[in-house]
Amino acid sequence: MPQTTIYAAPRSAGPQTPPPAVATVELARLFGRSAALAGVSLRVESGRTIALLGPNGAGKTTLLRILATAIRPSFGTAAVAGFDVAAAPELVRPQVAYLSHATGLYDDLTAEENLRFAATMLGRADGPDATRMALDEVGLATVARDRVRGFSAGMRRRLALGRLLLSRTPLVLLDEPHAALDAEGMRLVDRLMARWRDAGVTVLVASHQAERVTRQADGWARLDGGLLLEVGGEGVSAITATRSAPPLRAPAAVHR
Amino acid sequence: MNTLRADAAVAWAIARKDALAELRGRQAVGSTLFFAALVLLLFGFALGPDSRRLTEAAPGLLWLAIVFGGLLTVARLHQLEADDDALEELARYPIERRAIYAGKALAGLGAMLVLGGVLLPVVAILYGIDLAGAWPALVATLLLGAIGFAAVGTFYAGVTVRMRAREVMLPLLMLPVIAPLLLAAVKATSAALGGDPFGELGAWLQLLAGFDVVMLVAGAATYGYLLEE
Repeated sequence: MPQTTIYAAPRSAGPQTPPPAVATVELARLFGRSAALAGVSLRVESGRTIALLGPNGAGKTTLLRILATAIRPSFGTAAVAGFDVAAAPELVRPQVAYLSHATGLYDDLTAEENLRFAATMLGRADGPDATRMALDEVGLATVARDRVRGFSAGMRRRLALGRLLLSRTPLVLLDEPHAALDAEGMRLVDRLMARWRDAGVTVLVASHQAERVTRQADGWARLDGGLLLEVGGEGVSAITATRSAPPLRAPAAVHR
Repeated sequence: MNTLRADAAVAWAIARKDALAELRGRQAVGSTLFFAALVLLLFGFALGPDSRRLTEAAPGLLWLAIVFGGLLTVARLHQLEADDDALEELARYPIERRAIYAGKALAGLGAMLVLGGVLLPVVAILYGIDLAGAWPALVATLLLGAIGFAAVGTFYAGVTVRMRAREVMLPLLMLPVIAPLLLAAVKATSAALGGDPFGELGAWLQLLAGFDVVMLVAGAATYGYLLEE
C-alpha cells in the first residue's frame, strides 16, 4: 500500500456532491486538562475501509466514540454522512454501528436474549431470524441459550460482533475488534470486514494489529498524542478547516 | 401513531429485559423483600403489642419499608446498565430517549408493585390489621404511589448511576423530591385502613395522581440529557 503524507486540502464539496462518510474539522476532546484529541481534521469517503493506527493514548478510541455519539466533542466539528454528531446525534445514530472496548452485554440474559433485545432496539422486524443468523455467523449458535455471565472474554467479543451484524448501517466503527479473540475469532473479524467492504459499508477500524488491518484497508490514518500525524492510501484525507469543511446536512432534509 | 407504537415496543422490551435480569438475580430480589419485611418486623417489636398503636403507625411504616426496598430496587435496575457499559450501548441505539425512560420506569413500577403487594399482607399479619373492605383503596394508593416512586426513582437513578457514591447520592437526592408523594400515600393508606371517616381519601389520591403526571412528564422530557455523557 502506498504510504503518503497528505495535508493538501481537497476541494470544497459542491451542493450536488454527497457528503463524505466521516468528516471532522479541528476536532478536539478534553478530559480534564488533557487533550485526548487535539484538532483532528479528517475526511473519509463512503464505502472505504480505513485503519486508524497509533499507540495507546493516540486518540483513536476518542475519535470513534465521538463519531458514535457516545461522547461529545469539546471543540471542532464531526459529521457522519453530513450530520453533525453534536447538533443532531439522533440523525447520526441510525447511520453508525460501533463495536467498543466494553461489550455492553447483559450478564443475566442469554446470548440469544441479548441479541433479540438489540434487534428490537434496532427496529428489526425479523428479530428472531436475524438473531439466529447472527449467532450462527459468530459461532455461538450452540451456546445461544446460555447466560452471558458464564462466557469468556472472547465469547463476549463474538457476541458483540453478532450484535453488530444486526445493524444495517452505512458506517461501522470497530475499536480493537481482534482483542480477546482466538485465531478463528480473528479470521471471523477479517471475514466480516471483507463483507462490509464488498457491501459498500464504510469501516473505520482502530487496532494495534496494524499489519492485519492495513492488509484489508483502503487507507489509513495515524494518530499520536491526539494529533493526526499522517494519512495514506485511498479514501481518507486530512483537511483544513478554512478551505474544505464539508457542508453539514440540515436535519429537516432528512426522511427517516 | 407509528412512532408511539415503536416507543411502546422499545419500552416494553427494556422493561421485559430488566424483569428477566431481576428475576434471575434471585438473591437481590429476595434480600430486598427480606430487608423490607425486616423493617416492618423490627418496628413492630419496637412499638409493642398495643394493637391501636400498631394500626396508627402501620401506614407510615408500610411506606417506609416500601421506600427502603424501592431505593434498592431502582438503583439495581440502573446498575444492570452500568455493568459492562450497557447504558452507553443502550443510549447509542436509534431510539427515542423517552422510550428508554418509559421502559426503565415500567420495570421500576413492576418491581414496586411486587414489593408493595408482598408488604401489604406482611403488615396485615404482623400488626393484626384487617384489610377486608380496604382493598380497592389500598390498591389504588399503592398503584399511584408506585407510579410516582418509579417516575422519580428512574430519573434519579439515571442521575446517580455514573457516580462513585451512587448508593449515598440516590436517597439524598430522591427523598426530598418524593416527600409530597410519601405524605399523600401515608395519608391515603391511613384513610383507607380507617374507613375514610373524613372523606379525605379522594383528595389524597388526586394529589398522588397529580404528582405522578408531573413527574412522568418531567422525567420523560429530561431523562435523555442524563444519557448524554
